[in-house]
Amino acid sequence: MPSVCAYFQVHQPYRLRPFSFFDKSGDYFNNALNREVMQRVAARCYIPANQALLKIIKATRGTFKVTFSITGTAIEQMREYAPEALKSFQELARTGCVEFLGETYHHSLASLYSPTEFREQVLLHQDLMQTEFRCRPRIFRNTELIFSDSIGAAISDLGFKAVLAEGVDEILGWRSPNSVYRVVGRDVALLTKNYALSDDIAFRFATSGEHGGTLTPESFVARMRERAQSDDVVGIFLDYETFGEHHREESGILRFLAELPACVLADSSWKFLTPSEVIQQHKSVGELSYPRHTSWADCERDLSAWRGNEIQRKALDAIYAYTPDTEERRQVWRKLQTSDHFYYMATKEAADSAVHSYFSPFESPYEAFIAFANVARDLGAAQRS
Amino acid sequence: MKILMLGWEYPPHIAGGLGTACQGLTSALADQGISIHFVVPQIYGDEKVEHMVFTDSARRGVGPRIDSSEVASGETAIDVEVSRVPAFLTPYWNPSQFKEAVVSATKRQWASLPRAIREEPVARALIDGEVFGVDLVSALAPEQPRSNGNGSRARYAPDIFKEVERFTADVIARFSSESFDIIHAHDWMTFPAAVALAQTTGKPLVIHVHSLEHDRSGLFLNSSINEIENFGLSAADRIIAVSHYTKRSIEKHHNISANKIFVVHNGVYPRGAVTDYRLKKTWPRHVVLFLGRVTFQKGPDYFVEIASRVIPHVPDVLFVLAGSGDMLPAVMDQVRGMKLDNHFLFPGFLQGEELEEMFSIADLYVMPSVSEPFGITALEAISFDTPVIISKQSGVAEVLRHALKADFWDIERMADLIINSLLHEELRNEMVLMAREEVRRLHWDAAALKTIEVYQDVIV
Repeated sequence: MPSVCAYFQVHQPYRLRPFSFFDKSGDYFNNALNREVMQRVAARCYIPANQALLKIIKATRGTFKVTFSITGTAIEQMREYAPEALKSFQELARTGCVEFLGETYHHSLASLYSPTEFREQVLLHQDLMQTEFRCRPRIFRNTELIFSDSIGAAISDLGFKAVLAEGVDEILGWRSPNSVYRVVGRDVALLTKNYALSDDIAFRFATSGEHGGTLTPESFVARMRERAQSDDVVGIFLDYETFGEHHREESGILRFLAELPACVLADSSWKFLTPSEVIQQHKSVGELSYPRHTSWADCERDLSAWRGNEIQRKALDAIYAYTPDTEERRQVWRKLQTSDHFYYMATKEAADSAVHSYFSPFESPYEAFIAFANVARDLGAAQRS
Repeated sequence: MKILMLGWEYPPHIAGGLGTACQGLTSALADQGISIHFVVPQIYGDEKVEHMVFTDSARRGVGPRIDSSEVASGETAIDVEVSRVPAFLTPYWNPSQFKEAVVSATKRQWASLPRAIREEPVARALIDGEVFGVDLVSALAPEQPRSNGNGSRARYAPDIFKEVERFTADVIARFSSESFDIIHAHDWMTFPAAVALAQTTGKPLVIHVHSLEHDRSGLFLNSSINEIENFGLSAADRIIAVSHYTKRSIEKHHNISANKIFVVHNGVYPRGAVTDYRLKKTWPRHVVLFLGRVTFQKGPDYFVEIASRVIPHVPDVLFVLAGSGDMLPAVMDQVRGMKLDNHFLFPGFLQGEELEEMFSIADLYVMPSVSEPFGITALEAISFDTPVIISKQSGVAEVLRHALKADFWDIERMADLIINSLLHEELRNEMVLMAREEVRRLHWDAAALKTIEVYQDVIV
């Protein structure tokens, strides 16, 4: 019996303001912008999309299952700027049809730089999920689906039962992205993203339908059935903001989301599963090795979106060389670790650059770096004085 | 397609970016099969021009394309001795002599003109020394130097107007019967000649704006120049602006309809031998370079203010202010007054190898222009592997993504950008790495293709 594992990522960073070299120590973050974005995305995406999902869960009597990973920085900003959005996620949690995944609280790259910091941020996030949704995540997804064998081992040590990763062609080779695998040398299941199908929604919604038109649930489901074998799990992993923010409501994306589950379930041989259910019901077909770091970002699907150039590496090295001496500074330091800051500093050309600048609050990668460098310097200076 | 192009300067004898731009554009146009006769007021004999016919307004030429058919009878093709005589040493015409010359030159052409053109009232107006209601003679008359008490001097020697008069009369006298399809004129000095020629020949006129008097002078507008620009822009069939910034200025200051103005950004030719100079980056200090005319337009006073904010935080920095101009003494006073002498160098006007070396030694090129129609020096700096910080009030900011940008008046932001660029070598490296690729795409070929579109548009 083939199944769909739908997981949506919810994340908002604490964007920096264009902090100047001459600014006196104090407010690093662009509170006005962060409030504006959170309230806009809550109104356009989180609230209406959650309502749609809740309705589907009720209508399908719990047959529909969905999975979220919500970062700590998103939860904090929901609490402050859009409490209704947080409430609607909690309402979804109470249906029992929703699984929440573990990740780093600050959506950071700590897995690449500091094992202890990584561990602490993962535990912080588990505690947060416990508090907000009364469940402790057992399945893990790392920031931007960054994964490698060594990260797999670290996740295993933290007690997680499964991990999500990008279904990168070179890694999979002849193997299918729709099978369940195992982390090398560990008893941890590995679920891979079906990027062809996922990206049809995330990036190509307006053109991936029939004859280059808007994608319809019918043609998406037909495509999925065509590609899936009898015992397959199709991983549809997306940014939740796809629904209503990246693609606006006028595009028909929210209607697509509302109609898709019924369309999948119309064929009674198909079902929805959460990752925990997947690993209960599907045995792994074997180990899958990720000898290098992969991610779901950019055409390269590697780490180049965050540390592909000199300024990104300089900023990352600087932030992980720092050791905060007070709790207050630790809080700031962790907010500075959020991967988005480094994403804004990417200088890639062509298609990827448009995506990077769509997200960036800065006019150029260089200005993103300068704001970050000024803040990092100020933080260090404040500590020394 | 044959273009009669009117210019004012040509490398290596240049005072600004105009000559460099004309060289780049004509070379690329020639590559596209466009035949050009380029006319300047003065030929020096050492210009290397192989891609077009290159003469002065008296049809004395230089380069392999000059043959007897291009030269008016009784004159030799290349007479370096004669043409080296500076133009301003030739006897000036006073306004009435100018008018007389224009009238007689035009009358000489009159008989050979098609009847339709002869009957046109504008052609008659030209006979009377007037074009489009503007009295050419008084428009070209030198303005009295202003004495406004704060030491500001007229930026053009009075004889520039005499030069324009001579050029105009020469061009009308010697090129009215030339065979060509389009007149293409670069900046205000050539506008009277271009408009008059367009009127006598009936050929379409393309006016190319590299800068406007509004950009160059700020508050102290030279009304004669402004008026010449206005009648040139009004008379033009099409206008080429070097940036959207310039296009907006033309619309705003001259009330010209946007749909006859086309934006063609300048290009730059890739440079080969940068590495040799690169090795010379052995100066013990950080070098921040300003290079350009030391005039209001270029913001040299802002450069000093910015420097004063940087120096306390980057003690080993040296600010080099290269160039000459009317504001140089005032700027040097400013530096002394602010006690920044130890951090400043004034090498004067640089050219040739000195200029290339300066660009190469610099860690950072800063262009804090108050108003910059394009700003080709920013592209040159990049071609020497020097990252750039440019004012948002520049045309080049429209085409350059891999540069830092700030408003010219935002001293603190400019200082912030400079300090960080000097503190973080990685930032400079990344900017240059990416900008070099970007500049490679800003080739003159693209500019030529867009220019040809304008030509085709105007011929139909």
